[in-house]
Amino acid sequence: MEKVKQKDLILYSGLIILGLAAPYLFSAFKVQLTYLCVLIVLAMTWNLQGGEMGYNTFGNILFYGLGMYLTASVQVGMFFPLAEWTESGGEKTFVHTTAQYFQGIGVGLLVSAIVPAIIAGAIGYAILGLRGHYFAICTLGLGIAAGEIAGGIEIIGAGQGFTTPPFPAEIVDTEARGKFFYFLSFALLVGTFIFVKYIYGSRFRLILNAIRDNEDKAEAMGIQTMKYKIVGWMCSAFFCGLAGGIMGGLIGYIDSTDVAFDGREMGVFMVLMAILGGKGTLWGPVIGATLFHFFKEGLWTLILGWQYVALGVLIVVIVVYFPEGLMGWLREKYPERFGEVIDEKDRKAQVELK
Amino acid sequence: MNKIAKLFVTFISAITLALVSFTSSFAKVEGEYIVLGSAISLTGKYSSNGVHTQNGYNMAVERINKMGGVEVQGKKYKFEIIYYDDESNPKRAAQLAERLIKQDGVHYMLGPYSSGLTKAIAPVTEKYKIPMVEANGASRSLFTKGYKYLFAVLSPANQYLEVAIDLAVEKNGGKGVKIAQAFEQDAFSQDVRLGILDAAKRTGSEIIIDDKLPKELNDMAATLAKVKAVKPDVLVVSGHTKGALTAIRQISEMKVDVPMLAMTHCDAAKLSKQHGKKSEFALCASQWHKNLSYKDKFFGSGKKYAKDFQKEFGYDPPYQSAESSAALLVFKDAFERANSFDRDAVRDALVDTEMQTFYGNIKFGPGGQNVAKPMILFQVRCKGDDCENRVVAPTKWASDKFYHPIPKWSERS
Repeated sequence: MEKVKQKDLILYSGLIILGLAAPYLFSAFKVQLTYLCVLIVLAMTWNLQGGEMGYNTFGNILFYGLGMYLTASVQVGMFFPLAEWTESGGEKTFVHTTAQYFQGIGVGLLVSAIVPAIIAGAIGYAILGLRGHYFAICTLGLGIAAGEIAGGIEIIGAGQGFTTPPFPAEIVDTEARGKFFYFLSFALLVGTFIFVKYIYGSRFRLILNAIRDNEDKAEAMGIQTMKYKIVGWMCSAFFCGLAGGIMGGLIGYIDSTDVAFDGREMGVFMVLMAILGGKGTLWGPVIGATLFHFFKEGLWTLILGWQYVALGVLIVVIVVYFPEGLMGWLREKYPERFGEVIDEKDRKAQVELK
Repeated sequence: MNKIAKLFVTFISAITLALVSFTSSFAKVEGEYIVLGSAISLTGKYSSNGVHTQNGYNMAVERINKMGGVEVQGKKYKFEIIYYDDESNPKRAAQLAERLIKQDGVHYMLGPYSSGLTKAIAPVTEKYKIPMVEANGASRSLFTKGYKYLFAVLSPANQYLEVAIDLAVEKNGGKGVKIAQAFEQDAFSQDVRLGILDAAKRTGSEIIIDDKLPKELNDMAATLAKVKAVKPDVLVVSGHTKGALTAIRQISEMKVDVPMLAMTHCDAAKLSKQHGKKSEFALCASQWHKNLSYKDKFFGSGKKYAKDFQKEFGYDPPYQSAESSAALLVFKDAFERANSFDRDAVRDALVDTEMQTFYGNIKFGPGGQNVAKPMILFQVRCKGDDCENRVVAPTKWASDKFYHPIPKWSERS
């Protein structure tokens, strides 16, 4: 046991060093690396519901979008009148000083973590009684509705969109912005990973799994399933909100349906990534998100205009050949590496049967 | 678990290797080529206009290269454009702009299609001090932010339909009119709306319906039902290509009678071809029309441009293509006047731009918008089944008289 832990330690410290060195090693790729961190966070948090709890949600995009708007609104609203800012031209009149910018984004991120979590609690209380595809469809509606509502609220720019505060001009280094957002997202990734890993070792995960495998039985055993389902969703919302807040600052322009409540892209991607890597595993979403991002960035520009066809083919291939994701496939192939004890005779007997 | 770890380490190192070998970037000027970058909507909701834009860019690149290219410090250079598909998504567009600049080493940018995407890209080009000449972002809010590296060859969006309101008031004997309006929820259309609000205030007109339409606009029956009930003097609709098509389709289906119908994007939607007689009398705002009398030495006149474009791509050029072609002419002019590839020199040359192209006069205001060119209005008119767009305002170029009011559906054959 001790030996395995040591191996883990080497792996984790290797990854953290790689993560910290990445923006210097691949300086030109900082934005893509930031995206990667955020995508992994989204996939990991989706996995908590979709993979561990068996509740396929399309609603996590709601928290992501909320986080985006909240961070930007707080960052502006703390120092300047928000309505004037979004009414076009505000960015020119009101300029954040360096200190204001960082204070704003700090408080903004805090708000964008807490508020979505509270909202997840409230909505969860209302709809987590739904099961299976009823829950999925209901959450699908959440994201779409939020996009339409946000598109009608003047104070956050409505259909015009919301330009987030530009990075302080006093910092002359053009690389600084990229580094700032990268390290922010990397910190979020590390935080999310530690949290999810902690959950994986806890009784909480077993309860979520019990809900997935048979909710009625779980309830019959005295588990207050509703409570755990809500808490699980609130945890996801917390990290999704943070991810959204960082993305808003990075992109610099928030549009209600295309950037913030972007269910059609981000909302689907987070599901796809988790399934690609293998849902219900710790590393699955990480690997899935990484592969997906590389696939997207590397190949999409080579097949201009056909990328969504390629994505469709990818989805079909995943579903047909890797229904359990890459991790699931590996586990089936090399079960002993996952710590499963296999009786050789039994396996042979099964092969002969086939 | 340790084998998994090994697997993972192998995986990571493979990625690292791949990335390192990837980092060889291009230069802004390669050999005899000046490399421009652009993120264009080839897929998604703006795909048809994205293609119009790309065709416009390509046509101009080909023409300029064929006619000797760009002369800088005595050497001839040719234009080349790196395209990416932004999927009509601002988030993707911003990311691709970053990629064009940081990874492909592009030092000069051409704009994307639509105001929303331009809004997403402008902060990036501004940050890296990359001059961007854009031809398809008309939202007024683009020009109030104090951007220094953004240059638009078009008139701002709020001017699109203001003239139409003035026309309606004029036809009403100078009295204010009742306006019904429906706009898509996006940066451009919302700006057109602001323009209408200003015009309404100025002329003492009243806005009796003010609807917002969703993106991916396929249905506006609810708005039209209200229009039928309250009978406004003018109906204003703006929602890019889909908005124009949806409006005409449903107005004709529901037989909505309104004395004046003002829209945007009629020519991009090929309205007169797609809907024929149903689209007759629609009044459309346009940045350009082939009958205007502007000239340059690359494309000749607007008519000549339209003919060449038709030959190359098989359809009549909408203004989106024309303004995109004009963007390249502006860049060429700026490079030659700057006589240098220094970004700031090129930027300063762009500021001083004052030229005529087949598309119109171009001179940039302090915000970066083109202040030398008026908007025009045309009306769809039909002879038999053959419909075309005829310029009705401003009077300098009008080939036809403005037909008002639109006859009722019961009286139309």
